Amino acid sequence: MDSDCLSLLPAVCLVLADPKQSPPDDTSLEKLLDWFKELHSQSNGQVLLQHQPCQPCLLEFISSVCTSKTTDPAILSFTIKLTGLLAATTQGFHLLDEGGLLVYVFEREAWGVCDLWEDASVRSGWLQGLLDMLKHQQALGFICGNGLIKVILQLQNDRSLFVACLANQLLVHILNFLTSSNMTSGSDVVGSSESSLRPDWVSVSSEIMNAVVEALSSEDCPQVLQGLRLLSLVLSQCGEPILSTLWKDVLVPLEVLVNRGSESLIQTLITVLEAALGTPLLNQSEYKVEELLEAMLGDGNRKECFQCAALIVKLEKCPEVLKRKAMDIILLPLQCVSTQPQAEKEMNVVLKEQLSQKASCISLLMQSLSSLAQLAHTKYLFEDISIHSITSSVVLLLRMCSGHRPSSLLHINAFTHLIGCCKVQRCGLDTLGALSVYEEKLDLRKDIFGVLLDYLQSPDSHATVLKKTFQAVKRWIVCSPFPDLLQFISHDLFPVLEKRMCDLRWEVRDSTLEFITQLTAALNGNSGFSEALHTSGVVSVLLSSLADAEGYVRASAVTAVGEAVTASLYQTVLVSNSKLLEEALVQMMAILSQDTEGFPRRAVVQAFTSWLKGSHLITALESSLSSVLSLGGSDFDWEVKMHTLELAEVLMEKTLTCCPYAVQNFGSSEETRFTQALIKLKDFGLFDLLFNSLFDCDRPVCEKACALLVKLRTLTAETADLDHSVLVLNVCGNRWGDEVQRRYLNKQQAKASGCVTNGVTGSDEGTDCDLHCSKDISLPKILQILDLDDMQRMLTLSSDHVVNSPRSLMEDILSAAQQNEENIVDCY
Amino acid sequence: NYYCLSGHPTLPCNVLKFKSTTIMLDCGLDTTAALYFLPLPLVHSPRLSKLPGWVSKDGAINLEKELKECSGRVFVDSQPEFCLPEKELLDLSTIDVILISNYHCMMALPYITEHTGFTGTVYATEPTLQIGRLLMEELVTFMERVPKAQAATCWKNKEIQRLLPGPLKDAVDVWSWRKCYSVQEVNSALSKVQLVGYSQKVELFGAVQVTPLSSGYSLGSSNWIIQSHYEKVSYVSGSSLLTTHPQPMEQSSLKNSDVLILTGLTQIPTANPDGMLGEFCSNLSMTIRAGGNVLVPCYSSGVIYDLLECLYQFMDSANLGSTPFYFISPVANSSLEFSQIFAEWLCQNKQSKVYLPEPPFPHAELIQTNKLKHYPSIHGDFSSEFRQPCVVFTGHPSLRFGDVVHFMELWGKSSLNTIIFTEPDFSYLDALAPYQPLAMKCVYCPIDTRLNFHQVSKLLKDIQPLHVVCPEPYTQPPPAQPHRSDLMLELQPPPMSYRRCSVLGLPFRRRYERIHLLPELARSLVPSEIKAGVSVATVSAVLQSKDNKHVLQPVPKPAPVPPSKKRKRVMEEPPEVLNPKPLLSGAVPLEPFLAMLHKNGITEVKVEETADGHILHLQTEDVLIQLEEDATHIICDHNEPLRTALRDLVLRFLQKL
Repeated sequence: MDSDCLSLLPAVCLVLADPKQSPPDDTSLEKLLDWFKELHSQSNGQVLLQHQPCQPCLLEFISSVCTSKTTDPAILSFTIKLTGLLAATTQGFHLLDEGGLLVYVFEREAWGVCDLWEDASVRSGWLQGLLDMLKHQQALGFICGNGLIKVILQLQNDRSLFVACLANQLLVHILNFLTSSNMTSGSDVVGSSESSLRPDWVSVSSEIMNAVVEALSSEDCPQVLQGLRLLSLVLSQCGEPILSTLWKDVLVPLEVLVNRGSESLIQTLITVLEAALGTPLLNQSEYKVEELLEAMLGDGNRKECFQCAALIVKLEKCPEVLKRKAMDIILLPLQCVSTQPQAEKEMNVVLKEQLSQKASCISLLMQSLSSLAQLAHTKYLFEDISIHSITSSVVLLLRMCSGHRPSSLLHINAFTHLIGCCKVQRCGLDTLGALSVYEEKLDLRKDIFGVLLDYLQSPDSHATVLKKTFQAVKRWIVCSPFPDLLQFISHDLFPVLEKRMCDLRWEVRDSTLEFITQLTAALNGNSGFSEALHTSGVVSVLLSSLADAEGYVRASAVTAVGEAVTASLYQTVLVSNSKLLEEALVQMMAILSQDTEGFPRRAVVQAFTSWLKGSHLITALESSLSSVLSLGGSDFDWEVKMHTLELAEVLMEKTLTCCPYAVQNFGSSEETRFTQALIKLKDFGLFDLLFNSLFDCDRPVCEKACALLVKLRTLTAETADLDHSVLVLNVCGNRWGDEVQRRYLNKQQAKASGCVTNGVTGSDEGTDCDLHCSKDISLPKILQILDLDDMQRMLTLSSDHVVNSPRSLMEDILSAAQQNEENIVDCY
Repeated sequence: NYYCLSGHPTLPCNVLKFKSTTIMLDCGLDTTAALYFLPLPLVHSPRLSKLPGWVSKDGAINLEKELKECSGRVFVDSQPEFCLPEKELLDLSTIDVILISNYHCMMALPYITEHTGFTGTVYATEPTLQIGRLLMEELVTFMERVPKAQAATCWKNKEIQRLLPGPLKDAVDVWSWRKCYSVQEVNSALSKVQLVGYSQKVELFGAVQVTPLSSGYSLGSSNWIIQSHYEKVSYVSGSSLLTTHPQPMEQSSLKNSDVLILTGLTQIPTANPDGMLGEFCSNLSMTIRAGGNVLVPCYSSGVIYDLLECLYQFMDSANLGSTPFYFISPVANSSLEFSQIFAEWLCQNKQSKVYLPEPPFPHAELIQTNKLKHYPSIHGDFSSEFRQPCVVFTGHPSLRFGDVVHFMELWGKSSLNTIIFTEPDFSYLDALAPYQPLAMKCVYCPIDTRLNFHQVSKLLKDIQPLHVVCPEPYTQPPPAQPHRSDLMLELQPPPMSYRRCSVLGLPFRRRYERIHLLPELARSLVPSEIKAGVSVATVSAVLQSKDNKHVLQPVPKPAPVPPSKKRKRVMEEPPEVLNPKPLLSGAVPLEPFLAMLHKNGITEVKVEETADGHILHLQTEDVLIQLEEDATHIICDHNEPLRTALRDLVLRFLQKL
């Protein structure tokens, strides 16, 4: 196929180089480049460079684009990248270098139109080209010899962020390349610095490193930022001797920057120091990595120190002492706002001022809370600080957010900022939830559930706040069941949930239902809980939620009811169980057959699947299963169909392997049981579903059905003496039946002609040799007739495999050009 | 001056004396006094009729007939009475106009305009008048439907009241409480109303102009601008920035006020109307799902429109499609229909519906589809069509009279039913007191869309009045939440606060009047420029003041003296107009003046510096000349020629006009 494509290449090159043609869109060019790249890497550069009609036309193309006076920037950028790609092998490099093309391409003074440099895509293409080319010494020699390092360093401060980022990558690549094994002289000893580099490369590396030092010492903030970004890249990607050499040089300006503590640099400075933490520099005290981080924190008396602390707390490889110091600082705002005055005698002035302004107060508290949550996620062991007091601070803060004021408080201002502040509420609830990992160390359950319940009850709680509250409640309930849990659930929680399920906002109704589902699933097996659930009013509200006006809510209600039914199986009161299941089944079937939205219908099928998967046998389901399979299989929504097939899979598994639904006759053989199971599946309409789905219009559905049929075929093939006569399917009057018949007839014909030519008659198959159309064919036969393996192979190919080829891409480019010409003709 | 006749912040009744006019701002009626009375049942209630009478513990006072005991509280068994605005603070007959800001703030109108000698005009917008009339008629019907044979008055006796159990003991001004007015009084009072439209300028006696502006609170609700040529007072009462049914609040015209009178902020600052509406809906739906009935005591106009609209959207999602909603009020029909015809007073969204044409409120559709049914009373058609479970909207929110009393008696015993309070005017616990013990669930979700403190402080920052006048409760946090410093007005300069019976002097900065100059007089003026851009002229004219308008007219020429010999006649002639003396301006500079004196032979001058200028002592002549910034005195005894000479010397330094 490639050679096929290559024949089109000259024409494509002509079109691309033609300035009268408008260039194809960027994606086409990118795809073309991808194809080149793939081709190039497969053949190690051989195909493009040696293919006869290709090589000269590519070279011609490159030179014409560069010299043209009317080149489009997109084409030029494409050409530069292509050149870089071609020059990545030494052979290609020499070929291009000999023709002087490399200079043409990478020396912008040589271009037909110098102004094109102004286009960011051209600059980025230029850098990308160099990056691709830099695979061998000659390339580096070319870059250095032509003074391109200077240009790259300039591009580091480019106004386009993409260009600047690419320039940094290229610089790091160059530094790495300098120290890679093929560049060093080989006679060096470990630990030595630049001496290990060939002397002519020393100047290159020092040029780059000097630029970094210069950038860091600059007064211009964007330049400093770029310098820092390059530095962090070097730290994370380069090795010795570059690392220590560069670090020694930048240490002084870095210290200055750290001590200056400019707010806009904090994030990047921390990134640099984080990168340094991951290097051997950390362990050498003269490199002062830890010292710098500590200096970032200062003595906690600077405005910026909180941001630094928040960042340092998150660092993975941070030394413990430093982390503890950062933690002390970042927890200060939380403690100040929510502790009694006597504890904050020495509260610092900066913090006080920040807390008195609304915006900074909120952002500080959020930093404080999210850092705390972060620490809790790692189950950090707090040593100097009592987790008990921190947790009660969070509880207190949440109370303040809903307008409750603790008995005495210094920060009146902070308090008024917090009332009704959703941001802090959400963050605080997240943190409170995260703190549940310390459950055994805390004796605050009453307070915590108290505040969570307040949030659930408050009419002013925002929908997103309620969602977070639900999450926190779940975490605290799940973390460890406590003695009064059921009391709390049935007396406090359920009444609130019932009300929230009737909320005006569908989001709230939805998240309440989701919460009930999660809670029921989490407490699965707790008979006390399921009894509480079924004796409360929650279930009846759940059932009425099935008729909610909002599709998402109906879907969540279906899932919740499904889970409630599962929970009911653990319950001893059987009467209400069957009633719930009965009612649930009626409503769910109504949803599956009538609901106008996909989500609830999908949920219904999923609920059936989960019931079936469960360990309990629900005999009442049996009567509905065939309707679910037929309704789900003929749904308009492909996801419903997929879920139905998943249901079918579970059903198959359960029926054929464990056979819970098959009639258990003692004494009957394994084979009879299997046959009976298959008959059962047939009665459910499972085979109709699978065959229909096999010819569905949605590929994933066909694929899934095919996989299931293959499985079925394997199973039937394994069972030798299967009674075919009892497993006969009617193949008339539906699409799959027609297809089976067609294939059947084809096979018969082939066989018939085979019979004649070979003169061989099969023993039992000979009876099938007449060319009659058959209405009823046995299942194993059908599975044989259908060429499932071939179908599966075709289906696994992606749907666009026909059109997504380089050939079609090139044809598109050509035909677009042709149309363009026609249009021009039309104009006259 | 500003007289406060009502201390109630949301039911104001205040009087502004401004530029020789006396303007009453609103006429609110505080109906909370009704809570001290027993409910008036529409249908005989065995429970209420069997309540024991009250006798003091020692048996000394027996008020069995007047006071009844119910679950430990004592109620007056008589027709409910209301606490009127203060009538003694000033003579109500002197009031020139009454400005009404919304229909809730005019319920005391008959008490003010009738039997007080009031002869002025009442200004209100059309929806305010029409819906106000409905509310008054409803109130009258509620009372007159259940007549009480006699009125209880003995308990009001100071000596007796002192001995009564609380809270009756602590009720204030009980002697000024009055029974409800009659339909005739309502009609007579409302006949004095003159209709105005938003932004319409109404001249009062030429001195003051009043303009109503949309306040966004209810249909036709308005704030008022009261201005003279140089002073502007804004009266903000019951305003809302929320998007509900009325036209949005007009804010920009309130700018540049000298004084802003701020009343009618939200009564429940901690309850956010959106949250409460959500609470209302979820409780309603929960009760209906459980098979119970919902009772919503409410006024027959206002928030009910929003509640119905919200329920209209919520009904389907909450599976309430088949639950009947009943609206029972003597004026239910008119209220629902009036709301649909005042299109120009509605928010843009609803206005545009009218052009489709569609009814602006969705309750029309609810009525059409039989989901909402309205009846004048529980008697008649309602009783035959009543179906449960259902939702009933009915008055009065105090639960002391109206059809709501019947539903309380009917549904109070079942815990399946719920009463949801949405009106913020009454404490729900007090309202429920005579129905205790009560099994029905009670939910309090007061929906008050009026400005909250956060909104008001933003508004004030925007419009920047020089001074703010407001009821006292707004200057401190709510008594129940003393720590909520965000629930009060904190302004610079601090607001001037008032309570019932306060009289405030309003601080107006400018004290100017505008005077018109007739053209012929203007033509005769000779301006002379005293400094760049400032010219001055002297005017001799006659000032005519009429209807608070001031005009300068040319001095009439003295009529030729008629040939008359009677002395008397001569005396009546206008006085002869003398040519005015020139006006002087400028300052006398010390050094040049001394030089001038020297030149004129006065050499011995002793100069003394004083606080205001200098004193020159001409020692030889024994003359004192005091040179001050705004006066010069020459003290020269018995030497007129010298004085004249000195005066002329001084005059040389001054400009003459």
